[in-house]
Amino acid sequence: MGKARRPVQIIILTLIVILGGYAIGTAVFGGEKGIPQAGDKPPAFNLRGLDGQVHNLEKYQGKALVINFWATWCTYCVNEMPALQTQWEKWKDQDVVILGINTGEDDLTVANFVKQTGVDFPILFDKKNEIVRKYGVVPMPTTFFVNKRGKIISIHQGELNLKTLNQQIATLVASN
Amino acid sequence: MIKNTKCECGHQNPVGTVLCEACGKPQYEEAGHSSSELLEMRYDGVARRSQRANPNFIDKIWNFFSSVKVAVYLISITLVAAMLGTVFTQETMFVKNFDPSTYYKQKYGTIGEIYYMLGLSDTYNSWWFILLLVMIGASLVICSLDRVLPLYRALSKQKIRKHMQFLTRQRVVYKGPVSGSGEEWVNRAIAPLKKKGYRVHTDGGALLAEKQRFSRWGPYVIHIGLIVFLLAVLFRGLPGLHLDEHYWFPEGEITQIPDTNYYLKNEKFTVEYYTEDEMSDEFRQKGKIVPKLFETKAVLYKCVASCNDPLNEPELVEVDRHNIRVNDPLSYKGLQAYQFDFEEVTMLRSVQPTLVDQETGEVYGKFMLRMNDPETEYDVGPYHLKLKDKYLDFGLDENNKPITKSGEPNAPAFLFTITGPGLPEDGGQFIYFPYLQQQELFGQDKLNEALGGINHKLRFDMLAMEDVDFIHFTSFLNIRIDRAMPFVWTGLGIVMVGLIMGFYWQHRRIWLRIDDGILTLGGHTTKNWFGMRREVSSFLETMGIEVDEKSLDNGGNRS
Repeated sequence: MGKARRPVQIIILTLIVILGGYAIGTAVFGGEKGIPQAGDKPPAFNLRGLDGQVHNLEKYQGKALVINFWATWCTYCVNEMPALQTQWEKWKDQDVVILGINTGEDDLTVANFVKQTGVDFPILFDKKNEIVRKYGVVPMPTTFFVNKRGKIISIHQGELNLKTLNQQIATLVASN
Repeated sequence: MIKNTKCECGHQNPVGTVLCEACGKPQYEEAGHSSSELLEMRYDGVARRSQRANPNFIDKIWNFFSSVKVAVYLISITLVAAMLGTVFTQETMFVKNFDPSTYYKQKYGTIGEIYYMLGLSDTYNSWWFILLLVMIGASLVICSLDRVLPLYRALSKQKIRKHMQFLTRQRVVYKGPVSGSGEEWVNRAIAPLKKKGYRVHTDGGALLAEKQRFSRWGPYVIHIGLIVFLLAVLFRGLPGLHLDEHYWFPEGEITQIPDTNYYLKNEKFTVEYYTEDEMSDEFRQKGKIVPKLFETKAVLYKCVASCNDPLNEPELVEVDRHNIRVNDPLSYKGLQAYQFDFEEVTMLRSVQPTLVDQETGEVYGKFMLRMNDPETEYDVGPYHLKLKDKYLDFGLDENNKPITKSGEPNAPAFLFTITGPGLPEDGGQFIYFPYLQQQELFGQDKLNEALGGINHKLRFDMLAMEDVDFIHFTSFLNIRIDRAMPFVWTGLGIVMVGLIMGFYWQHRRIWLRIDDGILTLGGHTTKNWFGMRREVSSFLETMGIEVDEKSLDNGGNRS
């Protein structure tokens, strides 16, 4: 038994460091499940698109994302749609994807709106407002800029005009 | 420095042993020096495992946690920290979004600000508090390991014949002459001791009687229970183990409980208010309306297939139902739904208009029109209705184009294309407002006139009360999942077992030896010395030796 003493000590101390470190680690980093901030990873989602496909972050891995939360009843969202469409056309060849996540409306409303405005970037349905909650979106519209490495670079609340949107995407593409 | 640890009986003792492991002779004592003092019987005189001659770095850490003194300090610091956490409301207690960086200053002034700055506003989740718990855990594990194994060894192979000094320096001691041979006396002593519940071992003229040794393991059983408890508390934060959130559940709807596989249906919400006569004068004067009882008839579903598949509807299976009231939660496999609050909303969910022929008065039938996710095609009588557009909150923008003003069904309007007999081939358009007053406000007839005048031919009527379905309430429930709780209770159960083991039984031992007609007896127990004394004196009495209980006490009447 005397010989086994040292390994036993080392094993137990290591276990304590690992378990304790994990417990403290989750308290410091994991415990906070607050809203995502710039620098965080965007929360995962799995949503049906207007195109009938499933859209999620994995699908757009390696691409810069502009995630825009909108609704047809939100005037500012409606106002910024043409700007989003213009920038989508401008940047889509450079691996930039604009995702318009509609909050809580049904197919008919969204389809009619899209037909009217002629936007053709992916539009996703968040019918239960689950993803809006996860992203902590309060005012609408809110737009998340996620770089190619899957990190939120900036979060913009309120209406975006063509110029600021262009600047934001340019910084996004330049960012690592 | 190397100490000679070999006892005169020939036993080689480990470093730090107070008494010789075999014969019990006290070690490292100058002859005559303090030889009348009671022996230190803690851990039965054996060395703690970690005590070694030349401690290195690892030994030093080990020894730090092995110390009871350190453990006491750690527990005291944790206790004080836990107390500080009760001074002001903790951040985790707030239901609504709030900003802790300003809240504490506003509510409690400078002290509140300091409280927040020191991180005490979230004491129990702070890294330093968890570090304290981890250190207590480490101390529990190491303390136990360091003592249990040596104690087990010392108790499992006890030598029967003990050193004279070992016997005379116990707290219960008797010395006196006996008649006859030692061996014969010892054999005679077996029966009365066994009757008192002792296990008796003899070795010629020496005897060892022992009972209830298991009570010595009580403290270590407590330690094991505490370790289980601490682990459960520390790992409560793991994903899926813990949830404590508040959500709205609208009446009549099946809502997914976020971050879980469960769906909850609020079948019906009822609220009962206190009547005027039931209220106190004070309340009556204030004109308050006080709810007496509110209840959510809830059905809990579990998703069994296509759960995270946005293309398909989830398959739900009912697992539980309960009428949730305050202090009477729904409880299913660690998930609890507590009634917390409610709100009266009065929101239109669906209408069932009847299609009526304006000209003949013929009734074609009803169809169900939901505010959210309505069907897009309906067949009523000979007519086919196609929903072209839907406005939940109808309004007109500056260009007089119809828009929806919000996501709430405040002023719903539905635009149909209707085809059928008596209508143009490509159909006609018809806009419909379910609310009567809004039909007038927005001029439904005029709008339809402008759209092509189908309203001369057809009409949507609401014939009965049952044709309108409202959400009257949404219920605010507190959803809690705590899968760590079974482990917490298990840990506490083990602690209780350990406490009982230590409280209600005492480990008692009696050693005796007869040398040249002189009996030397020593007794040791973990507690209840008076009981031990009485037991020894009654044993001696059955052996024909009259002795006063009190005189057995060695070294005065200390207790």
